Amino acid sequence: MVHLLRRYFPFLLILVAALSAVWAVSLGTLPPAEFVFNNGTEVKTIDPAKATGVPEGRVINALYEGLLRSVPDGEPDELGRTPTKPKPVAMADAYNVSDDGTVYTFHIRESAKWSNGDPVTAVDFAWSWMRFLHPETASEYNYQLFYAKNASKFASVDLQEGDPVEIEMKDRPVAGQMFPRGTVQRGKLISLIQPHTDQDHAGEAGQGHGGGGTSGVAIFVVEFQEGDNSTTAAFTTQRIENEEIKSLVKSYQGEYDLTDLKSVEHVLFDFEHVGIRAISRNEFEVELNSPTPYFPELVAFYPLHPVHRASLEEHGDREFTKPGKIVGNGPFLLRERRIRDRLRLVKNDTYWNAENVHLNSVDVLAIQSETTSLNMYLNGQLDWDTKPPNTLIPLLKERDDFVSTPFLACYFYRVNTSKPPLDNPLVRKALNMAIDKQTIVDSIVKGGQVPARSFVPPGMNGYQSAYCGEYDVEQAKLLLAEAGYPNGKGLPTIEILYNTADSHRDIAEVIQQDWKKNLGVDVSLRNLEWGTFLDTLRIGDYMVSRSGWIGDYADPNTFLDMFVTDGPNNQTKWSNAFYDEGIEKAKYESDPVDRMAIFKEMEQTLMDEQPIIPIYFYVSLNMVNTRVKGFTANLQDVHPLHLLSIPSAGAEE
Amino acid sequence: MNVFIFLLKRFGLMIVTVWIVFTVSFFLMRQIPGGPFNGERVLSEAVRARLEARYNLDAPISEQYFTHLYNTIQLDFGPSFKMQDFTVNEVLAQGFPVSAALGILGMVFAVTIGMTSGVISAVHRNSVYDYSFMLLATLGIAIPNFVLAAMLIVIFVFNLQLFPAAGWGDISQIILPAFCLGAPFAGYIARLTRTGMLEVLGNDYIRTAYAKGLSPGTVVLKHGLRGALLPVVSYLGPAIAGILTGSLVLERIFVIPGMGSHFIEAAIQRDYTLAMGALLTYTVLLFVMNTLVDLAYSIIDPRVRLE
Repeated sequence: MVHLLRRYFPFLLILVAALSAVWAVSLGTLPPAEFVFNNGTEVKTIDPAKATGVPEGRVINALYEGLLRSVPDGEPDELGRTPTKPKPVAMADAYNVSDDGTVYTFHIRESAKWSNGDPVTAVDFAWSWMRFLHPETASEYNYQLFYAKNASKFASVDLQEGDPVEIEMKDRPVAGQMFPRGTVQRGKLISLIQPHTDQDHAGEAGQGHGGGGTSGVAIFVVEFQEGDNSTTAAFTTQRIENEEIKSLVKSYQGEYDLTDLKSVEHVLFDFEHVGIRAISRNEFEVELNSPTPYFPELVAFYPLHPVHRASLEEHGDREFTKPGKIVGNGPFLLRERRIRDRLRLVKNDTYWNAENVHLNSVDVLAIQSETTSLNMYLNGQLDWDTKPPNTLIPLLKERDDFVSTPFLACYFYRVNTSKPPLDNPLVRKALNMAIDKQTIVDSIVKGGQVPARSFVPPGMNGYQSAYCGEYDVEQAKLLLAEAGYPNGKGLPTIEILYNTADSHRDIAEVIQQDWKKNLGVDVSLRNLEWGTFLDTLRIGDYMVSRSGWIGDYADPNTFLDMFVTDGPNNQTKWSNAFYDEGIEKAKYESDPVDRMAIFKEMEQTLMDEQPIIPIYFYVSLNMVNTRVKGFTANLQDVHPLHLLSIPSAGAEE
Repeated sequence: MNVFIFLLKRFGLMIVTVWIVFTVSFFLMRQIPGGPFNGERVLSEAVRARLEARYNLDAPISEQYFTHLYNTIQLDFGPSFKMQDFTVNEVLAQGFPVSAALGILGMVFAVTIGMTSGVISAVHRNSVYDYSFMLLATLGIAIPNFVLAAMLIVIFVFNLQLFPAAGWGDISQIILPAFCLGAPFAGYIARLTRTGMLEVLGNDYIRTAYAKGLSPGTVVLKHGLRGALLPVVSYLGPAIAGILTGSLVLERIFVIPGMGSHFIEAAIQRDYTLAMGALLTYTVLLFVMNTLVDLAYSIIDPRVRLE
């Protein structure tokens, strides 16, 4: 046997090699789609409620459709940017707002259908938004709906005695799957029993441990009304055997009977009392806490797109996004999905506006290397490259397939206001004025970016940005002297933190030189890999740190509400009561002009105190094949796929 | 019987190795600053707590370890943290065949090109062929594969326009990356074959074969090559390891959705479960391949005993 093997071994080897080579090359081939573009990175999920990020948005906007759509609309401004507006050219064909600006009623179009033929109804939206807000979904964007009445109570499990509650029993039809839910009972919370005396903040207790539980160690006594009778029952989201629950029961001396304590899945604020409801099949109403002029922008934002309940309940929370199982309501369907390779989208014939969708198939590629992406574009394999490499921008700028405009995004430095000497606003202002932003824009980033003298990018409707001063070395020196550091004497070394990338290092080096040369300040640089960088920023272990922010919607609020005291994205330790009040006041201001005036005043406060140093406003960078029509440069750099077309491809048919 | 015991031993050793790799990387991963739920946009504490609960990250570390180990033994790597629509098993199931295809083709390139040029060099020793092949071999070894990739892209994609720049989906797209992957190993194999061949060709039995009146082709291919194969086969072990790691970079350059891309991204994004799944797959793969090479070696060389 061995001898036989030995004799024929070389031939065997050749045979194995040949067979495996044949197998290797025969692996699923897929001819390219009509329109191919690079989405930059693999999308984390195509479930609207769980997604965040621009690449995810491009795909979800193609597969699903919300009540409104943000589409380019109107005349281009002086920079060639078409404004984008949320319009009822989506699932809703009309909407109206109550006079006080707090109740929105959307009318869902009759022809709106899911891709399996089911009609899209107001109930779909109410259910999808409930799922979006449900604490177990843990949607990162859920705060976008906190403008709706009681939505944050539901999402954050912020319960108080007297609140209406819904109790989900532990009888989910499919174990380990969130939907379909177990039996839900509705009642009134009459007593909340917690280990500590602090009874007002049940919700915060729930933020600790608790696995699937909702409110940590707590017992909820709930009253149910049935006709004239009322019954009470006690629930906990913990296991009954839980030691803390046991001792809680033992030490309880109140009036209610806890012997029949029942362990349940969730005790939540009753969603029927949240300002989100389907009035009829086609009418969907949202009641807001305060007039929110940019609410239509949020409604058009992809996390609020609906999902198809029946298919989600059938296949489960993850499986329902798979090709073949996914049911969408957008202009495209998901045909195939290969991880870190492509998503193949095809036109959805059941889409209400299918006749105006021109592309029959789209490939969404996940190319991370900018150079490779450009190679493929130049080689004709891509029709749209979403991130050409920075170093080549000066060359590419000359081409007529290069589409670029300033958009709603700012590159800035955070300053840790808790670290002396940076706790002194004068020092921060001096640092700002000593940076030659024009040089950074002209000689480092070179893509036509605009030096930033404010945090909110210019171009927002009706808003005039604040101002933090030009490059002024003399003034900066004066400010520094006033702060007690003439010519930088006595200033410790300032450290600039950035995440590892050549472009960030180059900018940091220029700023390092500027500060040394202009102010006599010694500056050291520290770079960290992305994950570590984010952690370091979060715990505030830095002096000055590189940052960036892209506006979620075209309203100053998306930039300014970051810096309220202890805002999760503040991260500068900066706190200003006047600012906090102003941002809060703007929420309730229904007059657009006054509202913008408040924002302007607040931004000026931010610029005067300078917990952040704006460096430049980003520009969108796109390489788009000239055969593609319908691609417009705009303020939010959104390019809905269903608006694109390739005329020559149509002519061949 | 020998073979059976050998395999059993190897299997035992592999289980221990995999367990050590699992344990070390489990704790190392959690030591690195940054977690799977950090993004530029900071999560609210409530959402973070929910997400950690979903992935069992709020449990005590020892409990996490044993749960994860228990699931891993059952070949269930859990859900991917960062590709939320997939489980790790699904990601690996999609990535593995792609990497395997690339690796196999790279290996086929390496062996065929390497051995052919090695044999020619040995037979025509000190000729122009010999010098040029050996120069190419040295270049192949010396040039890192990503540099080679860049050069080949310029030549074959932009100048000659023979191949697409990158991507995955048809045969033409696999040629360049597989060639880049195999090139350094082709260089080594060419030199090994040449050396081995020269040694063999000097042996008495080769002279006997010639004396019998066999044609030079038969002598070289039938009697010579068999001996020259030995060093090449023993080199296949390290070569497979090299192919596996080499593909990490190339997959990035040529946008190939294989294991390498998943592994790198998982490490960068702190996708604990996916990183673990990929790592263990690599470990097992290397073990299996090395065992196969040892087996093959014992088959072609009677002097080798399996231990």
